[in-house]
Amino acid sequence: MNPDKDINEEKLSEQLQRLLISIEASGRAVLPKSNDVLLKSIVDAAARIFGAAAASILLVNEEEEALEFKVAFGPSDQDLVGTKFPYDKGIAGYVFMTGHPIATSNVREDKRFNQDFAKSTGYVPDSILATPLISSDDRVIGVMEVLDKIDATSFNLQDMELLGMFAQQAAMAIDMSQQIDSIEQALVNGLKRLAKSDRSQDSSDLQAALNQALRVENRPSDFLELADLFNDISALGEAERKACLQVLKVFAEYRKSNSAPRRFR
Amino acid sequence: MPEETLRPAWSQHFTPDAIQELLSHGPFAGITPEWAWGNSAGKGIRVAVVDSGVEYDHPALEGCVRGGVVVEYDARAKDNYRIKPDEKPIDVSGHGTACAGIIHSIAPEAEIYSVRVLGRNMGGRAIQFAAGLDWTIENDMQIVNLSLSTSLEEFFGLFHDLTDQAYFKNMNLISAVNNIPEPSYPSLYSAVISVAAHEGKDPYTYYYNPNPPVEFGAPGIDVEVAWNKKQYLVCTGNSFAAPHITGITALIRAKHPELTPFQIKSVLLACAANTKRQSK
Repeated sequence: MNPDKDINEEKLSEQLQRLLISIEASGRAVLPKSNDVLLKSIVDAAARIFGAAAASILLVNEEEEALEFKVAFGPSDQDLVGTKFPYDKGIAGYVFMTGHPIATSNVREDKRFNQDFAKSTGYVPDSILATPLISSDDRVIGVMEVLDKIDATSFNLQDMELLGMFAQQAAMAIDMSQQIDSIEQALVNGLKRLAKSDRSQDSSDLQAALNQALRVENRPSDFLELADLFNDISALGEAERKACLQVLKVFAEYRKSNSAPRRFR
Repeated sequence: MPEETLRPAWSQHFTPDAIQELLSHGPFAGITPEWAWGNSAGKGIRVAVVDSGVEYDHPALEGCVRGGVVVEYDARAKDNYRIKPDEKPIDVSGHGTACAGIIHSIAPEAEIYSVRVLGRNMGGRAIQFAAGLDWTIENDMQIVNLSLSTSLEEFFGLFHDLTDQAYFKNMNLISAVNNIPEPSYPSLYSAVISVAAHEGKDPYTYYYNPNPPVEFGAPGIDVEVAWNKKQYLVCTGNSFAAPHITGITALIRAKHPELTPFQIKSVLLACAANTKRQSK
């Protein structure tokens, strides 16, 4: 037996508590609860700011080589969510492909334009402005659209340039939120393995999520440290993992009965 | 959030209030649009449109498309791409046909080649784009319209090298600057002619911006353009401004085949609507 074991467990417990508190605090301050809530707040704001009857966000689904409506505001918003279409279809598709924003108008009146796709979404807009969502590591992660300018026949260049700036901020928030979602999922998996002391699976999913997250600067560092710590813990011996699990159980019980985490201090 | 400097909105250089009047001196003052492109139709100039393809039989193009290639991403191929001939090109979205239609409307006797680098398979978007640009250099294109760009930092060097190669081969690359607050390559290099949109409608009226990297402003707002499947659409974007300068460059090159890329840029400046000629 290691004579320092109790002391080390105590230190580990303190460290975990501190990290959990700090990530909870930073998470609350920086991010909404979920990616969906974040997306919804972005399109609602975009529609208001740009005087548009509708707005939507499409994110890339690389496996299916498609863009998928993740959130929509306006007519037929519920029908749109979940709809996917290949990169080479629709206004959003070529914004994704070229990486350049674009606006169109007279879509509804122009008999020469094939409206089948627009009709298939249940909503044929008259004017569209679409701009790429580019993550802070320069990847095009999706497209943001505002549709049907309320007080004009089309969106103008100023709208285009402002939407570009708006989308830049939105893309960073979405990217960060997605990565945190994936880290959270990986953490849950890691903790489940920890609880089962199952070493048959490695922690590559957590490591992959961490690597992806670490490519982007300025995310809550406590969160990453915490995730990294769990990754390290999962590689320890059985006794250490059990000790860690015990600490977490105690912490969870404590949190159920005490809503103010600062009481740990 | 990272504290990044928001890049300027490129088109703001070309609003009526922002356009600066420039003065053309000495022999440059003798260069007029009439001298530069009067009576030229761009005859025989080979213009590549690197984009989503060009619909060769669109009525707006009146048979000006002479061929093309498709650049596909292939993870197993050497350099991760392969190039296939495309004698009767199609356009998978409409964007390339729109650009070709604008070029043809200004330079009706120019020969257009479709270099399709965009499509459903976008696994190597920037690689396909770079390979398409490389194809234009290896296949003696004289002007290349680039209404697309990449923001990927790791491609900065490759595109820089390609644009230099094109420049030394006497080619003019016309690149739409991107209206997003991100760097976009190759539109920011000095070896290309970079273009943003202005509000005017006359296809021959364009402006020079003395505060680069965006150099020229051409019509790009509510432009009626050809689209795939024989359609037409009204579009706004820098994507549609660049082909106007591509068309005018084709006119100049057909009339003055001796001019080099840097001389052509000088001619474009001398003929910009905000350049006044100093009287002798």
